[in-house]
Amino acid sequence: MKLKVTIGALVWAVMLTLAHIQLNVGWERLASELRVLVGLERPELIVGFLPVT
Amino acid sequence: MTEHGEGGSVFRSRKFTDWPTVTEALSAGEIGAAFILAPLAMRIVSNGGPIRIVYLGHRDGTAIVVRKHDDIRDFRDLRGKTVAIPMRYANQNLLMHRMMKQWGMPYDSINLIELPPPDHPTALAEGSIDAYIVGEPFAAKAELDGFGRVLYHTKDIWEDFISCVLVVHTDLIESDRELVQELVDGIAKSGKWLDQSMEHRMDAAEMAAEHYYFQDPELLKYVLSKPSDRVKYTQLAPLKADFDEIMELALEIGVLDEPIAFERYVDTSFVKPLDALDWDMQRLPSGHERLTESDQ
Repeated sequence: MKLKVTIGALVWAVMLTLAHIQLNVGWERLASELRVLVGLERPELIVGFLPVT
Repeated sequence: MTEHGEGGSVFRSRKFTDWPTVTEALSAGEIGAAFILAPLAMRIVSNGGPIRIVYLGHRDGTAIVVRKHDDIRDFRDLRGKTVAIPMRYANQNLLMHRMMKQWGMPYDSINLIELPPPDHPTALAEGSIDAYIVGEPFAAKAELDGFGRVLYHTKDIWEDFISCVLVVHTDLIESDRELVQELVDGIAKSGKWLDQSMEHRMDAAEMAAEHYYFQDPELLKYVLSKPSDRVKYTQLAPLKADFDEIMELALEIGVLDEPIAFERYVDTSFVKPLDALDWDMQRLPSGHERLTESDQ
């Protein structure tokens, strides 16, 4: 019973994490951030501007 | 803005067409940094917004423009006229009030209306306004198109005028100082390079017109050369005295509701002496690597 509860909680946590990535983060962004984290890629910065001084 | 900085980081510029959209994108974290109007940045921080000013975009580069043949010869002649400003939270708005104060005119003696900068020259040509104050290249456009005349350049009425500032999201400052430093260093080096010679300015005008502004290169060349100090790209460290003056004016006319400490909205820790900065020209990317996104 204890094992079932533990597995159930883990599955629930994994499902919530996956849903969060899918809905709020995005797989592409996660992959990009992981590549930056492990040093495969330098970070990217987007700078907004209007064409006026 | 180039794709790769000297440190290897990727910088992309995203063009916006109005101030509310760029500030929303910044607050939402869609973009990490932006060039926005100085009083607007102060207002956002005053309201709890997650940004800090880390550098200036340029100095001067704004003008009051009137119709070429109108009998408006000095500031006093604008009394009772309709003058367009880019936005209530623009330093151009504060400058108009500063001038009215200097000339002993009540603040309601000029009818100030907000118009997006690209609409200023057309409105003047059509006669729906009598003058406008705006950042370049929209002042130069009326001159080059033959119907406008500069009444005052800001360099002659408010020395080292500040219009746009570089703001960065506070999350980015906390999470990746190195990246912010690379951005600020790049802007400082670019400004130093621009102010080194007219040849550099002309090269920059060609490149910016084609890749970023999507405007006639001759217009940008005019802006960067007629006269050569029409807009300046050095002395870009944010100074407390400059911002204190902006804050006092902003408070006086209700652009800010309450005083805000310089240290609350400015982070000067990324500013380095210009002597310590120079482009390594061998490491700069070639033209085809420049990237710009368009928001709208």
